[in-house]
Amino acid sequence: MKWFTFEAAGEYLAIEARHIYRVIDEVKPTPVPLVPSCHMGMIYYRGELFDVIEVGVLLGQKRTTSKKNPLIILLRWGHKRLALVPDKITGLIWIEDTREKQTAYTQGEYTFRLLTPDEIWKTLSEL
Amino acid sequence: MGRTSIKNKLILSFLLLLLIVMVVVGVVNRMANDFYLAQAISTALALVSGIVFGSIFSRSLVRRLNNLSNAARKISTGDLRGQIPLLSKDEVRDLEEMFTMMLDDLRALISAMKNVFSQIQGTNASFTELIKEVLANSQEIDQSAMAIIKCSEEQALIVQKTSLRLDNGLTQMDEMVRQSAETVSKISEAIVRTEKGEENARETLNHLENVLNQMVEYVQPIYSLAQKVEKVKVVVNIIDGIAQKTDLLSLNASIEATRSGELGKGFALVADEIRTMAENSKHSSQQIEKMVEGILQDNKAVMESLEKSQAGINKGREIIHGIVETFGEMLSGVKDIYAEVKEIEEVTSAQVNQIRGLLSHFQELSQLAHKNVVFTQKTNIATKKQEEDMKEIANAMKSLNTLSENMMDTQRRFRLPAE
Repeated sequence: MKWFTFEAAGEYLAIEARHIYRVIDEVKPTPVPLVPSCHMGMIYYRGELFDVIEVGVLLGQKRTTSKKNPLIILLRWGHKRLALVPDKITGLIWIEDTREKQTAYTQGEYTFRLLTPDEIWKTLSEL
Repeated sequence: MGRTSIKNKLILSFLLLLLIVMVVVGVVNRMANDFYLAQAISTALALVSGIVFGSIFSRSLVRRLNNLSNAARKISTGDLRGQIPLLSKDEVRDLEEMFTMMLDDLRALISAMKNVFSQIQGTNASFTELIKEVLANSQEIDQSAMAIIKCSEEQALIVQKTSLRLDNGLTQMDEMVRQSAETVSKISEAIVRTEKGEENARETLNHLENVLNQMVEYVQPIYSLAQKVEKVKVVVNIIDGIAQKTDLLSLNASIEATRSGELGKGFALVADEIRTMAENSKHSSQQIEKMVEGILQDNKAVMESLEKSQAGINKGREIIHGIVETFGEMLSGVKDIYAEVKEIEEVTSAQVNQIRGLLSHFQELSQLAHKNVVFTQKTNIATKKQEEDMKEIANAMKSLNTLSENMMDTQRRFRLPAE
């Protein structure tokens, strides 16, 4: 199973690659009022609206400076859509079938925190 | 009237007496009978006649002599007012006339003496006043002479001191002249050295200008290199952008391949390879960018160094310009100083000569002051002697005055008719 990996708030994170719809750049999110600080705004991509979330801020990191031309990961699972802004995209890795509720995976010297889009959604909805 | 002498008078009187006696004797003899009686009577009558006649004659003579004697007695008491009556024209008349002439002469003499005494007294008083004034003047002269002596001594001392100081000053001025001459010589050397320094500074400035021009020439390729490196950086940025886009594209391709499942595995491999290439390309472009950045930084450092060097050279050029100007000003100033010191040397030499003349004059003045002291001392001695002489004269005048007063007292004993 392929996992899409990225870095945010000093952690290496991974999301199943099948939930990744697209990775885009050069798109500026439109700010939305009265939203949590991790919410960078909305983007419109090919007829769909995506909430753009800065993963580092969501994980408790303070926003320092606005990222210039960030890479945006578009997630689409079920009927839900979400766009994540990581600090850095590291790529795709192959992980053998994971056990249920496995939250971390170590490859070499790197340990990836395994996330599901729903967990992110839940964390976001609890704000 | 003719003059009759006493002898003639006596002869005439005797003859007259004899005639009278003869007449009487004749008369008696005629009248008397007795001879003897007649003789006796005649003798008696003759004696009586002789006595009477002699008495009359002698009385007349004695009275005139007594007049003279009285007049002489009065004269002896100083009374010159009396007059001698001139009664007859005999020898006594001569005596009386002589006496009268003598009396007149004596009066005139006394009167003249009185005038002379008066004049002597007046002159004596004036002379006494003059002597007093002369004495006062002599004392003043004496005091002045003493003051002059003191002043002359002080003057001589001052002149000596001044001469000494002038001599010292002259020595110092000689030293000053010598130092001025040395200064002039050193300033001449300084002018030569300053001119040499100015020439060297100008040469240095020319060399610096050459170095600066060469540096500008050297800097030009570095500027060109920097521009080229900037272009390389742009190209690298483009490559980096392409690599990023390729990376993103390959990532999305991998994602698509993953979602395609088994069918996309081959495409996923290709996409991975492309992504790996893109990553390598990106890595290479980043390395190139780093190298370019390094080159640019080095170039910038070189440029900064060159700019600093240029700034330093410019500053050095300004400094050397300033040095050249300073050398010029120094040269001008040193030349001015040379002219002034030369003038000072000349003026000092002239002053030294003048002071030498002044010193000579002062030495003459000192000698004159010494002579002045000697002369003034002599004057003082002379004045003292004069004072003593004047005192003696005053004493003599006092004696003369006393004598004059005594003579006046004596003269006062004589009473003249007018008094």
